[in-house]
Amino acid sequence: METGGKVRIEVERSILQSADEAATAIRALLAGRKIYALNMISSPGSGKTTLIEALLSRFAGKGGVAVVEGDIETEIDAERIRRCGVQVRQINTRSSCHIQPGQLLRVLSEMDLSATRLLIVENVGNLVCPAEVPLGEDTRVVLLSVTEGDEKPLKYPLVFRTSDILVITKTDLLPHVRFDVSCVRRAARAANPAVEIFETSAVTGEGVPALLDRFEALAAAKAPRR
Amino acid sequence: MHELGIANEILGVALSEADRHGAKKVSSIRLRVGVLRAVVPENLSFLFGHVARGTAADGAVLEIDEEPVRVECPSCGIADVRSIPWECPKCRGAGISATGGDSLEIVSLEIDTGER
Repeated sequence: METGGKVRIEVERSILQSADEAATAIRALLAGRKIYALNMISSPGSGKTTLIEALLSRFAGKGGVAVVEGDIETEIDAERIRRCGVQVRQINTRSSCHIQPGQLLRVLSEMDLSATRLLIVENVGNLVCPAEVPLGEDTRVVLLSVTEGDEKPLKYPLVFRTSDILVITKTDLLPHVRFDVSCVRRAARAANPAVEIFETSAVTGEGVPALLDRFEALAAAKAPRR
Repeated sequence: MHELGIANEILGVALSEADRHGAKKVSSIRLRVGVLRAVVPENLSFLFGHVARGTAADGAVLEIDEEPVRVECPSCGIADVRSIPWECPKCRGAGISATGGDSLEIVSLEIDTGER
């Protein structure tokens, strides 16, 4: 013991431990029910909700899709998804800029997941904080629209480091903006060599089927048709 | 301002560790923070001081060790940088890999047990 009763104690603990524990609980819940989960992250307005609508048009008929929408305020996105006829819950995070795993765990425990095969979580529009907090997802998807600029993987490295799939959206606008797709691909691969990259346009539909095929294959691997 | 959530988590861990060791006071907290975490040390210290007010960690100093990103280039070897580059910072070559820089950990605490 040092003088004055001062002692240094080794801790070596993750600062995000309580969040990590909630994420582990979500992962266990999803594994037990064989539900494949996506965590969608992007800036506001990159096309998360539009991609979810495309996913629903492919998967909803096959049964068992549930959606959780995260926004600081409003039920606008949940209403939009509800019109597609699937089970949806809205989390309003108020002062928080991302969905906390504890919030998601509470919402999931209130939902009927007995027939669910695919869970889609749309995080709050933000490239910083959602990247720090795993939600127990199987696949983390980051969307980057071409109007946002090609330097984003360098400015927001953590989300590109931790995402499994990068979707470059609004590619129909490429002729009108300065956006070097090859630069983004290079930067994203430097951040995460294993990242899978897709280019899509919701307007022309280009690239969307390939992305949906990939999600379908990933979902089938974890959650075989029942 | 995402440092506020991080400050709260640090406080939670520090207070539970202090309690476990029967400490009256936490005088300093050593952190390992990766450069990719977008944590501004001044913001974190300011917000921590605010949330810790009136607790056993009131007045505790945050000692923040920054963890760099480690870049490995097949021709130049290893370099430590502050962000993920898309080419080797030395030879501008591609084919690099970047690791680390994403830590967010409490390394150790200095506590006062009040014993002499």
